[in-house]
Amino acid sequence: MRALLILCIAGLAAAQSDSWLTYHGDYSGRRHSELSAITPANVAQLKQVWRFQTGQNQAIKASPILKDGVLFLTTPDNIWAIDARTAKELWHYTYPPNNAFHIGHRGAAVYKDTVYLTTPDCHLIALNAKDGKVKWDVIIADSKKGYWSTNAPLIVGNHVLVGVSGDFDNVPGQLKSVDADTGKTQWIFYSTPPPGATEPKSGGATGGQMWTTGTYDPALNLVFVGTGNPTPVLNGKNRPGDNPWTCSIVALNPDTGKLVWGFQASPHDTHDWDANEIPVLVDANFNGQPRKMLMQASRNGFFFVLDRTNGKSLLTKPFAAVNWATGIDAQGRPIPDPAKEPSRDGVLVAPNEAGATNFRPPSFDPVSGLFIVNAQDGYGIYFYKPEDGSYGWAGADYNITGRSFIRAIDYRTGGIAWSHPIGDGAGTAGVLTTKTGITFTGDNSNNLLALRTIDGTTLWHDPVGRMQNAPIMYELDGKQYVLMGAGSSLYAFSLP
Amino acid sequence: MRYIVCIAAATLMAAALLTAQAPPAAPVKGKAKAKAAPAQSPASRPIPPTATPQTYPIAQVQTGSQRFVGQCGFCHGRDTTGGEGGPDLTRSEIVAADNRGDKLRPFLAAGRPDKGMPAFKLSNSDLTAIIAFIHDQKTKFEAVGGGRRDVEAADLASGNANEGKTYFTAQCARCHSATGDLAGIAGKFQGLALLQRLLYPTGRPAPARPKATITLASGQVVSGPLATDDEFSIAITDAAGVRQVFEKRDVKFSIDDPLSAHFDELAKYTDKDMHDVYAFLATLK
Repeated sequence: MRALLILCIAGLAAAQSDSWLTYHGDYSGRRHSELSAITPANVAQLKQVWRFQTGQNQAIKASPILKDGVLFLTTPDNIWAIDARTAKELWHYTYPPNNAFHIGHRGAAVYKDTVYLTTPDCHLIALNAKDGKVKWDVIIADSKKGYWSTNAPLIVGNHVLVGVSGDFDNVPGQLKSVDADTGKTQWIFYSTPPPGATEPKSGGATGGQMWTTGTYDPALNLVFVGTGNPTPVLNGKNRPGDNPWTCSIVALNPDTGKLVWGFQASPHDTHDWDANEIPVLVDANFNGQPRKMLMQASRNGFFFVLDRTNGKSLLTKPFAAVNWATGIDAQGRPIPDPAKEPSRDGVLVAPNEAGATNFRPPSFDPVSGLFIVNAQDGYGIYFYKPEDGSYGWAGADYNITGRSFIRAIDYRTGGIAWSHPIGDGAGTAGVLTTKTGITFTGDNSNNLLALRTIDGTTLWHDPVGRMQNAPIMYELDGKQYVLMGAGSSLYAFSLP
Repeated sequence: MRYIVCIAAATLMAAALLTAQAPPAAPVKGKAKAKAAPAQSPASRPIPPTATPQTYPIAQVQTGSQRFVGQCGFCHGRDTTGGEGGPDLTRSEIVAADNRGDKLRPFLAAGRPDKGMPAFKLSNSDLTAIIAFIHDQKTKFEAVGGGRRDVEAADLASGNANEGKTYFTAQCARCHSATGDLAGIAGKFQGLALLQRLLYPTGRPAPARPKATITLASGQVVSGPLATDDEFSIAITDAAGVRQVFEKRDVKFSIDDPLSAHFDELAKYTDKDMHDVYAFLATLK
């Protein structure tokens, strides 16, 4: 394998070994562990050391947070503090019953001695990390208007950045910054015009929700967040133009919430292809030149490499079956084919609504330069007729079928280095890579997998169940742990 | 990477078999493949009528509406007519057959984990309220005739049946016959269901299962309909209807999957081809 020059700067330092402080482990979104005890040579000896059962209907879709030996795990309305060595429950907080969508929860956030939990009905709860007592409870958005939240907040300085969801209604996309100590609102960034505002550039689109956790570059002082699809969802006729900043990556100043730049992954989306996939930050050479890059494998089937100082495109290449673009424009954006907009008689589109990938996090391995993502070659049929109106979904779409793979993308070329089949349908497991050359992920048949990062060969597997998020990794008392949620259980594996 | 090699061999073998003779689409006993694509939406079929008309107190329906939105609404839509990924419940055969929860209670308690639907452990009163709301919605939609996500058969009638026949003869006749296995197909499936069936057959009646041929270390060869298949093990349903599981590292195997030709075709169809073939199949009444 060719040697790579990966520049390490303080701002993008890897996660600390004894903690997992953000959804991604660190600010970069690379989900890459520097721990070295588990290697390709001994990974087959991994054994389950504990299991934590939530007892909930909802599968675990969260990445746990680890601080001071305590894991914080969430499902909708619930957060647990768990001893990271033994899985003993330290406390459990349950939010009162509420009637917003309970579709999943992506995790908590920590700051000093406070843990933050978003709720389905768009509250942000601050809890004492020691005992789970509520410190304060603020409303982030009006759930009666159609917002809900599954968001794992991102904390930058004293800013708690909280996103919401909502594409069943024509509501603007909003990301709110809340004071970590007091719960007071610091700013709101709207990806589409706020209620009452007129801003012709958006073309009348609403939506563009920021429901996944962003990444942060301290040196540039920029937060990077993916935005969701426009509304009405499938009816693009009533919202002409590109509909910025929906289906985009936006770079925001975390102190002011002001947009510094935006890049649209899907201009004028009509297929529900949120660009909420993790914007992964990498410092390395590109075409022989050191670059501060941002990489995203997007739901629309394209892999993007951007210069994150300015949002300019460095590379755009499909990484899965794609039939909706006629080319790439001068800005590096796919050009949507008008013939693939939803129609009365239906159009056959790749990817399908589930996407070429989705919210489950990818990983970037700085050793090999491979960006590893759960990818689907999928097909769907999309319908829209004027009778469907211009509110909410405004059309219909149906999955036909798909086949999924763990794919390794060489960021320098966008080429696929390897593609490991994981079964039919959309994959649901995220990815973590290690410095020692292991890729942890899952297949569609309930197997937690350890693959060799360089070529995708299987090294180990364990049938844990259906996985809905990505592994995390940490070391305590010299013992290295791999954690993965499956169904309603969280599993920890370690070497004997 | 024997796995890849075996799949490649299987694909070649499948192509050879398909060229020679298409297996008839015989229904296969046993559980449908767990990881298959979601069942086709029956949106363009008539709404199955409620077997036992039933009414519920308004207050219970209102409570059910709230609980439904929170627990079910994202996938099935706030009004039960379908959301992201979940089917329209007003067209559900289980809902149609249900009488005051006799079918839905056990269904909700078990969930369909293979399709992403969790088992619901709700209080009895919440469960009753949700069932009341679903039936109330179904009664309303039966009265108005059609859900939000409806695709009418007339919407799909843009193709040219003659050109569809030409395409069919060139691409589909390797495995199918308009006077053989597909005779009368338009009587069994209409509208969206027919379109979905032609693109990738799933649902009922189940399409033919892939056939697996497995050579054991002893040299013994076993074959039968594929029951499960992942990276590490393969299972067939034997003649007695019993599932036999093998570790892939212990055997050699090949899989003849007639549906792989459907998958490959998805990358080739233009929308016109798709609509033309649909128009042709719609003539096979």
